[in-house]
Amino acid sequence: MNIRPIFSSLRKHRIPTTLIVLEIALACAVLCNAVFMIGQRIGDIRLPNAIDQAGISVVTVQGTDPDHARDVIARNLATLRAIPGVQAVALMNTVPLSQNGWNTGFTTDPATKGFDDKYVNVAEYLITSGGDKALGLHLFRGRFFHADEYAAGTLGTSFMPTGHAAVITRSFAARMWPGHSALGKVLYMGDTYSYTVVGIVDNVLRPNRNGGDARSFSHSVFLPVAPVESAMNDYIVRSAPVDRDRVLRASIDKLSKLEPAAVVKGRTFSDIRNAYFADTRSMAWMLVLVCAVMIAVTAFGIVGLSSFWVGQRRRQIGIRRAVGATRGHILRYFQTENFLISSLGVALGMILAYGANLYLMQHYEMARMPWYFLPIGALTLWLIGQFSVLGPALRASNVPPVVATRSV
Amino acid sequence: MLKMTHLSKVYRTEVVETYALRDFNIDVKEGEFVAVTGPSGSGKTTFLTIAGLLETFTGGEYLLDGTDVSGLNDNARSKIRNEKIGFIFQAFNLIPDLNVHDNVEVPLRYRGMKAAERKQRIMDALERVGLASRAKHYPAELSGGQQQRVAIARALAGSPRLLLADEPTGNLDTQMARSVLELLEDIHREGATIVMVTHDPELAARAQRNVHIIDGQEVDLAEEPRFHADPSAAGSMA
Repeated sequence: MNIRPIFSSLRKHRIPTTLIVLEIALACAVLCNAVFMIGQRIGDIRLPNAIDQAGISVVTVQGTDPDHARDVIARNLATLRAIPGVQAVALMNTVPLSQNGWNTGFTTDPATKGFDDKYVNVAEYLITSGGDKALGLHLFRGRFFHADEYAAGTLGTSFMPTGHAAVITRSFAARMWPGHSALGKVLYMGDTYSYTVVGIVDNVLRPNRNGGDARSFSHSVFLPVAPVESAMNDYIVRSAPVDRDRVLRASIDKLSKLEPAAVVKGRTFSDIRNAYFADTRSMAWMLVLVCAVMIAVTAFGIVGLSSFWVGQRRRQIGIRRAVGATRGHILRYFQTENFLISSLGVALGMILAYGANLYLMQHYEMARMPWYFLPIGALTLWLIGQFSVLGPALRASNVPPVVATRSV
Repeated sequence: MLKMTHLSKVYRTEVVETYALRDFNIDVKEGEFVAVTGPSGSGKTTFLTIAGLLETFTGGEYLLDGTDVSGLNDNARSKIRNEKIGFIFQAFNLIPDLNVHDNVEVPLRYRGMKAAERKQRIMDALERVGLASRAKHYPAELSGGQQQRVAIARALAGSPRLLLADEPTGNLDTQMARSVLELLEDIHREGATIVMVTHDPELAARAQRNVHIIDGQEVDLAEEPRFHADPSAAGSMA
């Protein structure tokens, strides 16, 4: 390998070499962090959510008279159940990813006073009878609520139900009682409210992330309530996915006719999920665009500089050919030269990438980038470099040896 | 060592064919020092580029060290250039980005020679041309004569069978030209075969034998005195 003479030659062209090294370093730093962020966002978009996402529609009724809530809700539930194709219906205070957050905090220690570090923030889902079927929850351990547990649940001024049973998600169970079964354990909120865990379900996402990490995004608690509360206005209507759109239209139509004064809106859960992750998806695409631009700029930079050098060194190439270089030698010369420049760039770029990640962690709550992003980024830049230099290098290898004898 | 028989080189465009060499014959024996002379545009440089396998020829036969080179592919031609031929160009043709040592090393690297042998050959060649102390200098730091000596060292380092020199003193002043020529004569006395293209009669006179090219053909000046009288009237070959 002709590394030393190539280094020697590059030292004679310090400015363009330095510029392209810096360009590669910047590309490496940006690519590593951007790809990591894209991965995080794709991870968010694909977060599992153990409900029947394809079959659920949510009909929101606002403006129900609180004095007649019990009757209106009962009538609405019955009306929705009567729509052909509806498999289950329930009323909830909010639904996953709706951005309408109902958050509370629980502790395992009844002696804890006030909201301090022992409290774990969690999404509070209030559901009426049949809510497990309406959502399509996946029971992991224990059971869902009994009829008397639903009947016992009414909301006080703190919007906490008066019952004493809870179904929680696996992630929340693991957070509260790591390494132990959560069944039969009690969740406390001060000394006023306590709920015994009767069931554990697969992870259901919260209405919003609430500033937590991916794991805490699934910290949810289901509490049973009677269908009497006007604060609860999300009707969960479940059907087969093929019937969903028709069922949703019919649901909106019927409830609107029943309650002309109320505002009735409906969305499929797929729409709710898409809306929730719309910004995340846009950000991911923007980062993809940033990556594409960085790759293109770097590649064109390498192509441009290599082409310039090939043109500038045409006679030198002819001399090398005249004294015995084959086309392969010339091709490898430019590839090796690019490899060396890229190596300097990625070495600097990996340091920059690491530093940028630390900065983002400190200032923008970004997670630590796994170490393997750095060598993957380096390999990518090496490949981009080799791919970019191939055209100019092939042109160089086609310079005939007779060029050495020409004066221009 | 170098034998061309009925060799021709034609440059073709869509509308015209131009013969740079036509029915050209030459036979250079091993150990000879031959000067190839002729007016500008006579085909001297074309002869040299074909002799050095820098260009292909159109017709005829060319035997180099007994090998018919007409059917060789590009890699084989590169290998022969690297192992059997040493070039000395009028414009020196050193690589400006490399120092003297690295310039001399270039053909040796392409031969795949081990580092220790390369180093020995480079130092031997530089000592031979009197520039061992300038190994770390760059071409721009040397005089024209020194640069040409480096080029000669590069040509000698590979121990070629044939040295091809294209106007080797053309860019040098008289004193430097003389020293370079003396160096070539020394190299010849040590057994090298040298073919030198020049239009300088004084330089040509130092060779053992002169071959004259006019209009792309070898000419015996004794039989063609008109060319001797007025070389500029000898055609307009590129």
